[in-house]
Amino acid sequence: MILELLAVGLIVSAFLAVHLDDAVYSVASLTGTLILAAVLYALNDATFVAVFQLAIGVGTLAVLFLSGEMLSEKPSGKKPLKNAFLAIAAALLLSIPSIFLSVRTIPTSVSSDVSFPEALWNLRAIDVVLQGLVIMTVALGIAIVLHEKKEGKN
Amino acid sequence: MDYVILSMTLLAIGIYGLLTKRHLLKVLISVELIATAASMNFVLLASSLNKALGEAFLILAFSTDTCVTGIILALLVIASKKYGTCDIRKLAKLEQHETIEGEGKSDSKIKEDIV
Repeated sequence: MILELLAVGLIVSAFLAVHLDDAVYSVASLTGTLILAAVLYALNDATFVAVFQLAIGVGTLAVLFLSGEMLSEKPSGKKPLKNAFLAIAAALLLSIPSIFLSVRTIPTSVSSDVSFPEALWNLRAIDVVLQGLVIMTVALGIAIVLHEKKEGKN
Repeated sequence: MDYVILSMTLLAIGIYGLLTKRHLLKVLISVELIATAASMNFVLLASSLNKALGEAFLILAFSTDTCVTGIILALLVIASKKYGTCDIRKLAKLEQHETIEGEGKSDSKIKEDIV
């Protein structure tokens, strides 16, 4: 029952994030979506992914909040409440199939006794190292651009 | 409850936003939703089949997602500062202006034209 409620909340908040006109409200709805997704992961025994999702979500949403507040013009319409109720009703309708329908999954014969650290470091070690390199390169690039900009101002 | 259908619904909402919304921030939110749907498919299928590889693979997906978010945010800031709009249709008009009329026009003149 909890999982179903989480799924409905997830779809409603995702739909509101896309549908609402005010950028700040839609980023707030996206926050709800990401938090509910993290809770769903945690309840399905994917705790590490849940923590990762929360950590990345916090950074993304902080930047989104700032840019949404700074860069978007305020909507001129005066009917946000009615609009939001219609959106919630549509999202509730959209969430019905995920609760009541199911897709047949084919049972797999691949062995499943690989632990998470083993999968991470034995099977995807190169990916993890390359990813670290990419993140470091991006961080260096940003630092160089900011430094050049600062020198250009002086 | 079926997680495949849940992630497909999220994907559909993201595609709806991508096709109908004109503001660049909404496009970014739609891309985030599509990425969330894809990662949810990975994680929940992997955890229901008791495989850790899906969760390990997700770390890559998260970093790619963060890079995409950074690039779209950079576009958002540049478009907003240079042309004063985040509307993707106006920005597309702007691109047509630049290709048809050449380099002779200043930024402020182009901005007047698209507004």
